[in-house]
Amino acid sequence: MTVHNLYLFDRNGVCLHYSEWHRKKQAGISQEEEFKLMYGMLFSIRSFVSKMSPLDMKDGFVAFQTSRYKLHYYETPTGIKVVMNTDLGVGPIRDVLHHIYSALYVELVVKNPLCPLGQTVQSELFRSRLDSYIRSLPFFSARAG
Amino acid sequence: MPQPGPPGQKTSLLVLEGMGFRVGQALGERLPREMLAFREELDVLKFLCKDLWGAVFQKQMDSLRTNHQGTYVLQDSSFPLLVRMGSGLQYLEEAPKFLAFTCGLLRGTLSTLGIKSLVTASVAALPACKFQVVIQRS
Repeated sequence: MTVHNLYLFDRNGVCLHYSEWHRKKQAGISQEEEFKLMYGMLFSIRSFVSKMSPLDMKDGFVAFQTSRYKLHYYETPTGIKVVMNTDLGVGPIRDVLHHIYSALYVELVVKNPLCPLGQTVQSELFRSRLDSYIRSLPFFSARAG
Repeated sequence: MPQPGPPGQKTSLLVLEGMGFRVGQALGERLPREMLAFREELDVLKFLCKDLWGAVFQKQMDSLRTNHQGTYVLQDSSFPLLVRMGSGLQYLEEAPKFLAFTCGLLRGTLSTLGIKSLVTASVAALPACKFQVVIQRS
């Protein structure tokens, strides 16, 4: 079981942070294009999901999966979006994504007066704490399964 | 408003230190509980490390050293205003800005307790910092 990579976007589509741990295939486009593609896709899926839902919506779009990986999604009322790609064995991880937002992003970036909001996060402390947190997750293993 | 750039920055830091001084003066008045607590200068410094730090930052200073000739070095290995900023050398240059108010705070509290001082701060690696208190005797 493993975590492949993680994206953090703000409400304007700016990619605040990207990390990868186990990614065997690249998208074949520049990183900037990849972020735009990811953000655009999420935007469309959210809107599609709420329109086409046959029942009243509760959380909205939460995850999608293919035969190889699963993409997990979490959005805050302020429009911060946490997107994590894991392999298929991983169940719902809303609490993990929420922790990344509240204990890492809010604590170390929002509350850091030297971090301007709305830009890629420069804080080394944020990057290293996030990395430690992901590596400490029960579904992360050092070797991709 | 102070201008940006080195002269403006110096003014800003003085303003912050001044604000800290005023707050420290007031805390120096309302925090001490016992009359006889301050028999000597070292007791006042201990008060800063325990009671003042406890009231303002919910923790105590990690170490207090002195040369017994009026110079004290107070060390905080995990200063709350720096803890969220970094762990190491990133942001080292900007860190002192966030210490100016606290230097004033120490100086103000000392002033209410009858001690005139000069307080400076330094950061070698976040989030640890040192405050140097030099007693001014006339």
